[in-house]
Amino acid sequence: MKFLFYLILVLLLVPLQTTLLPHLSVWNIKPDLGLVAAALVGLFAAELEGLLMGLAIGWVLSLFSAGELWLSLLTNGGVGLLAGFLGRQVSQVTSISLGAGLLLVSLASGLLATMSFKGSDVSQMWWMVQSIVFPQACFDGVMGAGFYWLLSRRFDLNRLRTE
Amino acid sequence: MWMAHSSSPYGARRIALACFALLLVALFLFPSQIQGLLQYLGGPVGYAVRIPLEAIASIDAGIADRWERYVVLQGVQEENQQLRKEIEWLRGQHSQLRESAAATERLTALLHFKEQALPTMIAAQVIGRDATNRYRAIILNKGESDGIKPDMGVVTPAGVVGRVVKTTGASSVVLLVTDPNNAIAGLIQRTRDEGIVQGTQQGLAQLKYIPLLSTLRDGDRVVTSGLIGDFPRGLVIGTITSIDKQEGALFQSAELMPEVDVGRVEEVLVIQTSYGQSTKAGAGVDLIEKSVP
Repeated sequence: MKFLFYLILVLLLVPLQTTLLPHLSVWNIKPDLGLVAAALVGLFAAELEGLLMGLAIGWVLSLFSAGELWLSLLTNGGVGLLAGFLGRQVSQVTSISLGAGLLLVSLASGLLATMSFKGSDVSQMWWMVQSIVFPQACFDGVMGAGFYWLLSRRFDLNRLRTE
Repeated sequence: MWMAHSSSPYGARRIALACFALLLVALFLFPSQIQGLLQYLGGPVGYAVRIPLEAIASIDAGIADRWERYVVLQGVQEENQQLRKEIEWLRGQHSQLRESAAATERLTALLHFKEQALPTMIAAQVIGRDATNRYRAIILNKGESDGIKPDMGVVTPAGVVGRVVKTTGASSVVLLVTDPNNAIAGLIQRTRDEGIVQGTQQGLAQLKYIPLLSTLRDGDRVVTSGLIGDFPRGLVIGTITSIDKQEGALFQSAELMPEVDVGRVEEVLVIQTSYGQSTKAGAGVDLIEKSVP
């Protein structure tokens, strides 16, 4: 059952991210649903599942992107793992704290991606940070907080998390 | 509860950390091998993902079509009139060009020029955009099983779109001409000066490494030079909009407006064989649309 859920999640993430989200983009920036999904899975299902789902999401999404595979694996897998660790350490997660955490993680992964760009000078890197990385991090934070808020309206998430 | 945590959290944590560390080590020690293996394994995954991807893309296209046909009708009459005027003008141009083509044909025959074989092409539909914000790329509904390979050029009848960078069994990723990571050999049609066309971060393109003595000007057209990569010579890339000539620089550069509106492109042609490799040598022209999306 859980495997099926994860499989459907991975299969649906690609069309959502590549076909539907471009219509919802603001200033040509769309949120990274893969990162949000990896963080939520890590938060609720602990670090191992967070890591494995993050890696699976990163791998499948990288097949539909011109980006580097290692970066996608590293960022999504790392986010799943980190969220799993934090899920055990933080007793009370709110949508705001999750949004802020996702903003920071997305910012870190965006900075890593920017630094890995070949042949970019400082001005180009700065342009990328202010026009892509930072807006996307804000978008990811808002999306994560929104999803968490929606889920918390339906389920008792803190109980689910600590069980 | 299906979302409950593992019964031995410390064991799971150790396994997770070990897996992640192992992955990091493997990625740093054998980057190309790991990438190649995962790309190979991604082939069948492409088929699985293609089903929901095409379903959602067709729903998306249907909604967009309805929207454009029935909702966005403002200004259609003005546009219609303008297009009629353009058709009249183009008819005039067409007859002039036919005359020129006939003259060229006669002269070519006289000079015993070898006819340029046009490349074989595969038609494909755009079903998505790059999964990240960092690259300007589109996803096509044709992949390795249709004969598409990395580095193949992608065009529309209007001009160059980009080149294939990644393929799965049933889809491929095309890096657009407006992406800063893309580089295509270009040629200014009027002056015959060569350069490299690269995307800019603002979503346009620029022609770099133009000789200082070049007499280029705004409005000059830039076409593919056919020297590097899988583009035949003479495909339109864009039009020069501004020139950057700096004091003491070895080269000048120019900003281009791409001929194809890559943000709206829906169908493309993938160039399967590069210039001069067409099979029917005697036929001269070998433009085959192998498949229709």
